[in-house]
Amino acid sequence: MNRPLHVQPDRVVSTVCPYCGVGCRVDLYIKNEKIYRVMAQEGPPNYGALCVKGRFGLGFLHHPDRLTAPLIRREKGGELEPATWDEALSFATERLAQIAREHGPDALYFVSSAKASNEENYLMQKLARAAAGTHNVDHCARLCHSSSTAALSRSLGSAAMSNTIEEIPLSDVILVTGSNTVETHPVIGAMIKKAARNGAYLIVVDPRRVGLAEVADLWLRLRPGTDPVLFGAMARYLIETGRHDRRFVNRRAEGFDAWWESVKEYTLEHAESVTGVPAAKIREAAERYAAAGAAATYWAMGMTQHNHGTENVQALVNLAVLTGQLGKPGAGLNPLRGQNNVQGAGDMGALPNVYPGYQPTASAEVRQRWADTWGAPQPETPGVTMTQAFESIGRPGGIHAVYLMGEDPITSEPYQEHVRAALEKLDFLIVQDILKNETFPYADVVLPAASFAEKHGTFTNTDRRVQLIQPVFDPPGEARPDWWILAEAGRRLSLLTGQSNPDTWEYSGPDAIWDELRRNIPEMFGGIDHARLAREDLRWPCPSKTSPGVSVLFTDRFYTDTGRAKLMPAPWRPPAEQPGDDYPLVLSTGRVLYHWHGGVLSRRSALSKAYPEMKVEVNPADAERYHIADGKPVMVISRRGSIQATAWVTDRAPEGVVFAPIHFAEQSANRLTKNTYDPTSKIPEYKFAAVRLEPLDPAEAAAEI
Amino acid sequence: MNLIPVVVNGLLVWAEPGATVLNVAQKAGAGIPTLCHHERTGTKGHCRLCLVEIAGRPRPEPACATTVESGMVVNTESEELTDLRRTVLELVALETNVEHDVKMASWLEEYRADPGRWGDPLSGRREREPIRDNAFFVREYDKCYNCRRCLDACGEGIQGVWALSFTGRVAEAAVTTVFDLPLTESGCVFCGNCVQVCPTGALVPLEEALLAEEAR
Repeated sequence: MNRPLHVQPDRVVSTVCPYCGVGCRVDLYIKNEKIYRVMAQEGPPNYGALCVKGRFGLGFLHHPDRLTAPLIRREKGGELEPATWDEALSFATERLAQIAREHGPDALYFVSSAKASNEENYLMQKLARAAAGTHNVDHCARLCHSSSTAALSRSLGSAAMSNTIEEIPLSDVILVTGSNTVETHPVIGAMIKKAARNGAYLIVVDPRRVGLAEVADLWLRLRPGTDPVLFGAMARYLIETGRHDRRFVNRRAEGFDAWWESVKEYTLEHAESVTGVPAAKIREAAERYAAAGAAATYWAMGMTQHNHGTENVQALVNLAVLTGQLGKPGAGLNPLRGQNNVQGAGDMGALPNVYPGYQPTASAEVRQRWADTWGAPQPETPGVTMTQAFESIGRPGGIHAVYLMGEDPITSEPYQEHVRAALEKLDFLIVQDILKNETFPYADVVLPAASFAEKHGTFTNTDRRVQLIQPVFDPPGEARPDWWILAEAGRRLSLLTGQSNPDTWEYSGPDAIWDELRRNIPEMFGGIDHARLAREDLRWPCPSKTSPGVSVLFTDRFYTDTGRAKLMPAPWRPPAEQPGDDYPLVLSTGRVLYHWHGGVLSRRSALSKAYPEMKVEVNPADAERYHIADGKPVMVISRRGSIQATAWVTDRAPEGVVFAPIHFAEQSANRLTKNTYDPTSKIPEYKFAAVRLEPLDPAEAAAEI
Repeated sequence: MNLIPVVVNGLLVWAEPGATVLNVAQKAGAGIPTLCHHERTGTKGHCRLCLVEIAGRPRPEPACATTVESGMVVNTESEELTDLRRTVLELVALETNVEHDVKMASWLEEYRADPGRWGDPLSGRREREPIRDNAFFVREYDKCYNCRRCLDACGEGIQGVWALSFTGRVAEAAVTTVFDLPLTESGCVFCGNCVQVCPTGALVPLEEALLAEEAR
């Protein structure tokens, strides 16, 4: 081994990082059944680079909070008691079947996981649709990129990055908006920074002075929640001055007139007054973007998590279509996916309105095809989204039982008190996870799952690359892979409900599950199988055994019914809750470099030493106004709750905006956020709520200042 | 793209314009030892171990930092080159603790290096204490021979952060942070891409350092 090791490994295992959607390929060095070194592999997608989370943040695998035995709470108010797998699975499926008998199958809700494999997501939606007989299945993309999915699907017919990571150096202009890329997708962030050093013109649109804003050629610091006006004004200006790609629009787009009507008001001056960005800067951004040989757009939650999230993304789609910045190497629309397999969870149909391969549940023909495949009649009633499901608990016709796989709604849903109250009203809750989380105490059944490092399967990363994972360790205690648990649950539940043929739940392993799904969505995955993945780099769409998969989407047509891109109006409406007298500031929430989402993983690793406590970003002007001192405790208060945090006085946050990370369950930012949703995507408005700040000890604060 | 002809150790090779002599020599099967060069970080030309002879040039040139030209005649093995490389290896071994550098150990043997012929090991660099100032990795600079891969990984080559810097000159030259601050007070984002490219074991994950300590 040609490495300067202080320790000789017992073995080195190649797999995929479990954190973000970049999907970095890693080699794990193992000694005494522990990981002591993580090395990046040289090829795509990460080309020898990693970030702190993947390289040093895998300690959660060996944390004492790992779930190691199935648990059952035999009656409400009782204790969770250890059980055998047989007891736990029988108990769980009998209760689900009973509730389905009493209230109908649509009283059940199945939450799949963007941390689990493709095969497991396929089985979770099959469990809902084939064994229970409901389309009530969803996953955490509801909370992250559902707005992107909505806008991209209806306009372009495909909701994924249209370029690949390898194309980053090919863009002349890179537009990044609503993404703190260097902290949330650090390997891509570093690549974008390098592209900018090599001459790409970098435009960053973000209220916060995020890492990329510091190196941007042009930074548009817009007011939070005003994005569609800015991007609408850019598009309007380009049309007005004839700078758009007329040929592209004529040949490949439709819907221009209705769209044009919708941006009539959006002059540069109007945009300046709404967004706070000088008109000259908006004009410069528009001209640079349109004139580029290849311009790529990257975005994340800053665009999607608004009550007009779909319109935000739609405005970006419209801009790309009007300028022809699509379907070329280095030119396209690129939602940066958050979870390691969130792309896959959607591809596998863990969504209430589509089957695997984004085949609509509304189509009778599609339903019939899956009914034949599974030997299970398929329901006509559409499913509801996860956010709607939690809102409906305790209401007439609402959800009575929830099956959670790798989801922690107490920390991840908005308005935490409201979620707690809902979970208490729930008749039955299954928590299937690798670690104890905040929702765990509410469980009636706990099913301990194997982690990414303890099972076989595939993850699909943000640029549609399907990658194999393999076991590094045995699962701890009685923990089992999610696919095994789901297949067992499916077999048992279908026997109880009589819905599907129990034989369709017999799988020899993840490769057998993959083969079933790829046969049913040949246009996306027909050419990909586990054996081929072990030898080759593949991404979807990959229709045949000889195809390496398509890199640049939309080169000749869009995946819509007409093959054309559909321009659609993206009207702005103000956020639901405006800052006012008692709550004068805007709260925006998000991630930091060292932590992951609800913190369940990252705070059980060495990462917590680097970022141990909750810090909220406060602009110096606001700090002065409200007597907040840097490094001192501060209360952040909204109409729904309050949390204590440490103030970080910094101009990263603009005046009037407080930024709070989402990783600290005991000071959850979601105690403050509002349960208002985008009407199309049903995404919560995590990026905008009215709050006020108070020093924890006003007297002390006054003395210090 | 028109390929250009290059002769390496008597073998005619067709090279892509812009390729380095090192790339082309590797294609021709010539094993040139390198310490500092790294494709991903872009580090090149510091260690002088990959010196080769190019016909018509007055002095040996570093293969990793020299671009091929049409008709170039390259020689990668000669008594003079062996002497030069032996000296480079000996001086590195004299200054640095190379116990974890696997490649170095095999070259010292291959080139029959005898660092002792230059005198006693130089103490300055070897006496640097390990720096354990963060939760993720340790800097054992007694093992560092200033290849600069870590600086390039941190800065231009990969991460674009420039948390690392050079201090001192000649024998005192060493890698450190800007103003020699703890890494936690620098711009470091702890991506560990410096650990990834470190060829000597000077940068080592904390978990690995602890395991090694346990074993001792």
